[in-house]
Amino acid sequence: MYGNAYIEPDSELAAKMAASREEDPEKLAEFEARIARGEKIEPDDWMPAEYRRQLLRMIEQHAHSEIIGALPEGTWITRAPTLRRKLALIAKVQDEVGHGHLLYSAAETLGKSREAMINDLISGKSKYSNIFNYPAKTWADIAVIGFLVDAGAIVNQLANAKGSYGPYCRALERICYEESFHLKQGYDAFVALAVGTPVQREMLQDALNRWWFPPMMHFFGPPDTISVHTEKLMRWKVKMASNEEMRQDFIEQYVPKIWELGMTLPDPALRKDEATGVWEYTQPDWDEFFRVINGDGLCNKERLAVRRYAEENGRWVREALMNPIQKRMVPYA
Amino acid sequence: MTESLDPRIRRADLEASPASSGLKQNEHWETYAIFHQDKRGAAHEFVGIVHAPDPELALVFAKEQFGRRKKTVNLWAVRSSDIYTFQHEDDDMFSTVPDKNYREASGYPVRKRINKYLFDQKEEEASKA
Amino acid sequence: MNNAIKDLLFRLADDELVLGHRNSEWTGLGPILEEDIAFSSIAQDQIGHAVANYTLLHESAAADEPLPDAIAFGRNEKQFFSSQFTELPIGDYAFSLIRHFLFDHAEMLRYELLTASSFAPLAALARKIKGELKYHVLHADLWVSKLGQGTEESRARMQTALNEAWPYALGMFEPSDYEAELVTNGIFSGEEGLQESWLEVVAPIIEKAGLTIPQASEPKYGGRHGYHTEHLQPLLDEMTEVYRLDPAAIW
Repeated sequence: MYGNAYIEPDSELAAKMAASREEDPEKLAEFEARIARGEKIEPDDWMPAEYRRQLLRMIEQHAHSEIIGALPEGTWITRAPTLRRKLALIAKVQDEVGHGHLLYSAAETLGKSREAMINDLISGKSKYSNIFNYPAKTWADIAVIGFLVDAGAIVNQLANAKGSYGPYCRALERICYEESFHLKQGYDAFVALAVGTPVQREMLQDALNRWWFPPMMHFFGPPDTISVHTEKLMRWKVKMASNEEMRQDFIEQYVPKIWELGMTLPDPALRKDEATGVWEYTQPDWDEFFRVINGDGLCNKERLAVRRYAEENGRWVREALMNPIQKRMVPYA
Repeated sequence: MTESLDPRIRRADLEASPASSGLKQNEHWETYAIFHQDKRGAAHEFVGIVHAPDPELALVFAKEQFGRRKKTVNLWAVRSSDIYTFQHEDDDMFSTVPDKNYREASGYPVRKRINKYLFDQKEEEASKA
Repeated sequence: MNNAIKDLLFRLADDELVLGHRNSEWTGLGPILEEDIAFSSIAQDQIGHAVANYTLLHESAAADEPLPDAIAFGRNEKQFFSSQFTELPIGDYAFSLIRHFLFDHAEMLRYELLTASSFAPLAALARKIKGELKYHVLHADLWVSKLGQGTEESRARMQTALNEAWPYALGMFEPSDYEAELVTNGIFSGEEGLQESWLEVVAPIIEKAGLTIPQASEPKYGGRHGYHTEHLQPLLDEMTEVYRLDPAAIW
């Protein structure tokens, strides 16, 4: 009925999770009715084991993506070309780390420790968004990532912010607020290049050519086949919109902004069917999608190696202040 | 592995870093709940947690993670394990039964009775006169 | 007088830019998420202080000084007046923390003195950034005390870092050629007094942390006169790589 605001993972959580596995039909009905009423689920609520598993996987991957996402952009921290861009880029990468922090906190409420999540990241057991396995080759890549890639992320995150799990929604609310700064500063850097000298326009066009298909593929994925499983996740408000809906939303909002500046995208088939309002586009190379997912992207190895390096490098700092006998607990975030 | 595009990474010796033996339990310390006050006179409001080895560092960390954007005049850090709470499944304890209007301002329609009293007084005076 | 103020502003700004640049190298690679965020804010504050001082140079001190970006990105090492301390590579986290500790205490005291400067725009700036520096030293003091008293490894790393940093830290107080003029005109009360009060502040904290100040160190001078270690020019080359791509460009 009441108690400390955390779950002791080894006893209580295990019991809770065992109870969930029984899938008590009465509790399940209550749980689903709550979601249908638009109410949120909190960490101490009963939830189906499958709901917990899917959410944890999703939030954990989202957290990893933020931490790994700090690396391609971090590539240009020491080389940003003005003092203001330098400050903005540091602040942006800092926000990505901050988002990772907020998302790990949300994931922790589901029973997995941050240490365990990071271990699964660096061992390759858990995934992150494959968009970050592409290299940031020039300064223009930073502008395109800050604009186009963040735009893709926002479409995703705004959808997820309407999901059913309280801690994830709270984290996303703040994240979306900060993303609007990212998008604005990315757009600003993008426009600076687009209205700039021939050298600047050329580097921007080159970056656009390389960064068009990655978000189209990796943020939104292949068109969904609506399985019973997907239906259940949508009913539980874990998955909020179909891949194709989000992809259309992304194209509709951002492609005109790119064309307006006289820049092109590397898809001659890209056009809006004015009659239906639906955008037509060339299907991305889904083979490449699966190759990158399976570890064969340009930067998969480096990203994990760098993350592992950072963890090892900081270990002595963490160990110096650690209390090995402290009891582990699952906080409510 | 091809050479990194990040000069910071090129300076770091990735190969020389020891093979990861994995993070230990508690390597990220314990958690503190952070409460944020945006102006004097306002209540402190829960905004999230930080991992920290002690309350001092919890506050120093919270200052940047929760105070760097929002207007802030003060923060509290409370060890998560020191917070006591009800369970959400018991939230029916909080639903107010409709006939408990003795707890509501609307349950006290005094003016009606005053008006009746004043009316009766007037009637009485009129009947005397 | 004008040259004296210019020299002072260059020293203040270049220190903050070079160290802010160095400290920002940790962003995204810090020892734990919370500290990554905190240290990144400190780096941003430092670059922000550099911008403020370059702006003073451009607006108040000398009409012939260009805009802040051109000052920051348009000079070579000989034209930088930062102390050598700031340009050293980030090292391990112990070195970066010790440098942050030694540097920000000096900044805190320096700007405190500058709040009384007869050069009004600088006095106003000094009052404005006092709060940020207060957080920097709070952050630095906690880490030094905790890692000094942590494990055997953390204590050893902090002591090694302190030994390496110390002569360079003393180099922060290298007197400028305009010292007498600055003092006489009430612009800044001078490096010698500053070094003394700095030592009075940092020594007890170091001692309480169980660390020892190295004996008889020769200060590493030169930076205030444009003489630098082998680390500054490569830092500047890297920092200006994109800026130099196209002289006509606005980024």
